[in-house]
Amino acid sequence: MLVRPSVGVPWDSIRAVLFPTTDFAIFFVLVFLGHWLLNHEARSWKAFMLLASYVFYGWWDPRYVALLMAVSAIAQVGAIAVAKQQDDRRRMRVLAIAVAATIAPLLYFKYYGFFAVNATNATSALGLGWTPPLIQVVLPVGISFYTFMAISYVVDVHRRRFDVASWTDVFLYLAFFPHLVAGPIVRPDELIPQLDVRRDQRHLDFANAAWLILGGLFKKVVISSYLSTAIVEPVFGDPSRHSALEALVGVWGFAVVIYADFSGYTDIAIGIAQLLGFRFPQNFDRPYTAVSIQDFWRRWHMTLSRWLRDYLYIPLGGNRKGMRRTYVNLMITMTLGGLWHGAAWTFVVWGILHGGFLVIGQWKREQREAGVLAEPPATASTVWLQRLAAFHLVCLGWVFFRADSIGTAFDLLGRLVTGWTTPTELVTPLVLLAIAIGIGTQYVPRAPAEALKDLVARTKPVPLGIGVAFVLFVITTLGPQGVAPFIYFQF
Amino acid sequence: MDVDDGTPSGRLVGVADTERRLRSDDDSRAGARGGGDRPTLGPTSRDTWAATPPPGRLGMPAGKVLTVVLVSLVVWTLLFGPELRRAADAQPLGLRRTVSLAVLAPFVWVSDVTRLSAVTDALVRAMGRDPDSPVGGGPEFPVDDLPTYTPDPGVSPSPEPEKPPVVDSPIRVPSGQDPLRVAVVGDSLAAGVGFYAERVFKPFFVDVTKQGKISTGLARPDYFNWPSALKQIGSAFQPDIVIVMLGENDNQSLLDPGGRLETQIGTGSWPPAYEERVERFAKIATKAGAHVIWVGLPVERDESRWVFIERQNAIYEAVADRLPNVAYLDSWNLFSKPDGGYTAYFRDGDRVELVREDDGVHFTGTGYTILMEHVARLATDAFQLHEKTYDG
Repeated sequence: MLVRPSVGVPWDSIRAVLFPTTDFAIFFVLVFLGHWLLNHEARSWKAFMLLASYVFYGWWDPRYVALLMAVSAIAQVGAIAVAKQQDDRRRMRVLAIAVAATIAPLLYFKYYGFFAVNATNATSALGLGWTPPLIQVVLPVGISFYTFMAISYVVDVHRRRFDVASWTDVFLYLAFFPHLVAGPIVRPDELIPQLDVRRDQRHLDFANAAWLILGGLFKKVVISSYLSTAIVEPVFGDPSRHSALEALVGVWGFAVVIYADFSGYTDIAIGIAQLLGFRFPQNFDRPYTAVSIQDFWRRWHMTLSRWLRDYLYIPLGGNRKGMRRTYVNLMITMTLGGLWHGAAWTFVVWGILHGGFLVIGQWKREQREAGVLAEPPATASTVWLQRLAAFHLVCLGWVFFRADSIGTAFDLLGRLVTGWTTPTELVTPLVLLAIAIGIGTQYVPRAPAEALKDLVARTKPVPLGIGVAFVLFVITTLGPQGVAPFIYFQF
Repeated sequence: MDVDDGTPSGRLVGVADTERRLRSDDDSRAGARGGGDRPTLGPTSRDTWAATPPPGRLGMPAGKVLTVVLVSLVVWTLLFGPELRRAADAQPLGLRRTVSLAVLAPFVWVSDVTRLSAVTDALVRAMGRDPDSPVGGGPEFPVDDLPTYTPDPGVSPSPEPEKPPVVDSPIRVPSGQDPLRVAVVGDSLAAGVGFYAERVFKPFFVDVTKQGKISTGLARPDYFNWPSALKQIGSAFQPDIVIVMLGENDNQSLLDPGGRLETQIGTGSWPPAYEERVERFAKIATKAGAHVIWVGLPVERDESRWVFIERQNAIYEAVADRLPNVAYLDSWNLFSKPDGGYTAYFRDGDRVELVREDDGVHFTGTGYTILMEHVARLATDAFQLHEKTYDG
């Protein structure tokens, strides 16, 4: 999932062509030009875009382009093999093999180290003393995303919802650079048909794309970077040295950081796709306005939650096999969803917490439907209380998500109780303002933004370009010096 | 750009067609599933951003979009040019730096001639940033890290250096009223060490100031001037212990604070010139009354860097050996395999822990904790740091 920089690991050591860099700006101008010049030549366009996407990915480490190609080839071979089977049982067996083969690289690259350490320590504790080879496997950027997309392709072919696509289309579907590094997780029927139709170069929604890209940059470069440094890193670095108020604001701060960082990145991805005439699924829809955890998962990382629903929860039986099985399915789905975010026990706890919240929510709903529990009154104050409760349950999850160990997470939670006599220094007006912007903007009505976009759409190109430049200037100036473009020291 | 391929415009509605088809597919899919699973988990609809504008909003042809993008990038480069040039200037000498500077030169020239740079400097100042500060910034002192230090009247906060003692002196015994002050300085590895120094040292006895700055070292004072920063830290914080961990970024030519080339990398004069910088840096700390723990560079996964690291470590160790109150921690051997090679894991009795990040350079939290425990123990062995001041 998202790149979680550990303490001391700078962003600039991650060598992928990340969006907020001058390298990417140059890359995008060239790709934009080639894309629209070749728009009417499907074969040339596909070859060009595939090459551009591999260059984008290979900027980080060219060796991993081969891995991306390998996963694409495995998915395509699997899909062809599945499609050939007529007998349902045989079809299912081939599907299982195809999915296992597609997910195998992800399991190896993401979880081998976690498995090796835990297996060694568990067998040692049992006196068996078995040690798997302790090798460090580097996690390739974006593998979690393109593997899930590859699985959805194979499964959709199995479900006869999508026909086997051409090799080029499958390779391009998985490598298409806007979604490659951090999503959104686009389904085959959303993207592959768009590869074959000519994009309409006459009516691009530039205003919306610019809104997404500039807003995403602001969230990522200004809000996320500032709050990370000002409060989140110190508080999660050593909770014991911080007051209860700092711990609380630090957790709120992280809630904003992860939203600003992740939604900012996918907003940029969606905006870039839009400038190329592609439509991408929405990935975040004002998640901190959610009134329950169910509601949160309809608004947070929406392409992941629907992936988990369609390719994990429903195959497990969804809510069609009775109440208890629904609860078990929810717990399994969210726990595995947690583990997908990272190979550590903290992510497992995060997944279990969300699974538990969803189970409780589902139970309450069933009780209400059965007339055992009363419906809460639909007053404004009730809605705000529900929002407040949902936000803080989500924050409880974030504590485990961000902490470097379960022990640190409990240290931080402990400070919320014991830290009221410690002096508070980090909770400054600017920190509170950044948090207020991060959360408050989710409550702003859509109409003014839409009116602004309409105005932008009517503006002439040169004044519009100057306006965009000025906004970019403000964002890059307000951003921390550490993310200044051109700095490519490694450490 | 507008690309007219001569086809009937009716064929250009492909995306809208696709959108309609997707919507109908989705409806049938939801129907097939009975929609029963949707409310439990995941979004309720397939919200997407359409590629084309909604009704009532003007669409923009690709050619105009390209114009806007190019105008915005050119104007932004003019506005941000001076800052970009300083950032480009701070890169290691090489092709990328040369090309960056060459590309930026005309923009900066226009910006200067039109006095636009003065306007942007004023705007940058208005937004709370000093446009004249070094690209890498300077030391920062969080308020809670500062001791209440008041120099005696008539005594300079940076006293003239006394003749250093010939032998190491012990670190003072702290109390709750007068805790030890520990400054952690260096690059991103030091940034990590700083966080875990706070955990390993007991807050009651030790104040820690975390001064690790990513992308810094001793080779490029034009980017971040560590000697100057350490003097400031010395006078403002009066550290009892300075933990130094840097050098990862120093495999490059040595420049002076003005950005002028002083010693070329790869020449015979580089090692002595770098050693002089290391010695000068350590002396700044000892003259301010601090004991120095200099943490050597750890073994890294990239074997092509080993020669450089071993040369650096030999310099740090030699300087520590000949200076009083400076001790060297050999982190290479602490974290390497028995044969001296790289491993990401650390065996502590029967348990194994992952101690290195994916990049093969930085440490995980467990790794930094182990490193810090060895720093504290070395301070005890070398300078009689009281064991009550730390865990582990």
